[in-house]
Amino acid sequence: MRIEVCYFCSSRIFPGHGIQFVRNDCKIFKFCRSKCHAAFKKKKNPRKVKWTKVYRKTVGKELAVDPAFEFEKKRHCPVKYNREVWQKSVEAMKAVEAIKQKRQAHFIKQRQSKAIEIEKQKDVKEVHRNIQLIRADAAGMKERMKHETAEGAHESETEMEAPEIDLEDDIIEEALASDTEMDAVEAEA
Amino acid sequence: MTYKRRKYHNGDTHLKKGWRTKRRTKDLDEIDADLKPEVAEKLLNQEIDLDKPGEAQHYCLHCARYFINDQALQEHFRTKVHKRRLKALELEPYSIEDSEKAAGLGNFQLPKKRKIATQGTEADDESIASADTQ
Repeated sequence: MRIEVCYFCSSRIFPGHGIQFVRNDCKIFKFCRSKCHAAFKKKKNPRKVKWTKVYRKTVGKELAVDPAFEFEKKRHCPVKYNREVWQKSVEAMKAVEAIKQKRQAHFIKQRQSKAIEIEKQKDVKEVHRNIQLIRADAAGMKERMKHETAEGAHESETEMEAPEIDLEDDIIEEALASDTEMDAVEAEA
Repeated sequence: MTYKRRKYHNGDTHLKKGWRTKRRTKDLDEIDADLKPEVAEKLLNQEIDLDKPGEAQHYCLHCARYFINDQALQEHFRTKVHKRRLKALELEPYSIEDSEKAAGLGNFQLPKKRKIATQGTEADDESIASADTQ
């Protein structure tokens, strides 16, 4: 008796569960439930079905290559029962499982950290695009006009535009700072 | 006088007939095994079998189908069904070993892509030659 692997979704099949199909070339296909069996009968490709383990590994959502995966092996010759060997192997299985879990979790966290960076860039872009929602175009116009008249009207237009952009950048930085503060507050809560 | 055929529309029940394992056609991994030069040669030069369409003389390797004559076979090569099948075979087909690797028995490997061409064409001869050298 052994815990089999589903052909379609790669989940475990415990004794007494699922169904198996023997193709006319003697290959045995095991399925964990009727969902997987029906998908197989419809000739669905597990690589393209999003809820399968293969999909998640081919697309890079889960850890696929790691030395920790080399421990689990199919062994076809039975080993005579030996209390010491049994206890040791159970211990080893637990240790390997712990390592595997840790690495898989780390992989997912690494993958997600990339998304956080992208999100931040997106936020900055959005603020740039919709700056007028935070600060009206006309805000501080009077003071700016006064400033310009005082400095003299003979200066070129390009120089006049420069301080405006600086102002916007200041605002974005302020907004970002407040954003991080918000995050910190949330984390505390 | 001709009569209209009864039960013209079969409904969805007959969709299921196609999914039954009783009428199961060859899977992609079976066809992949057929593509090996020594097996392919046997399939393409079969003995006369009166039960098969066209006495089993006109066989499409990639679609695992018999045709009644050479013209039908050549026309089939120009169809979308055939081209789609060639495309599907480009990636190495999914196997039981792949499902086990995905479950954590050994390292998972991405399927490789290769060139697949219709049988009997110049491109096909090239692909077979390259397969032999490998």
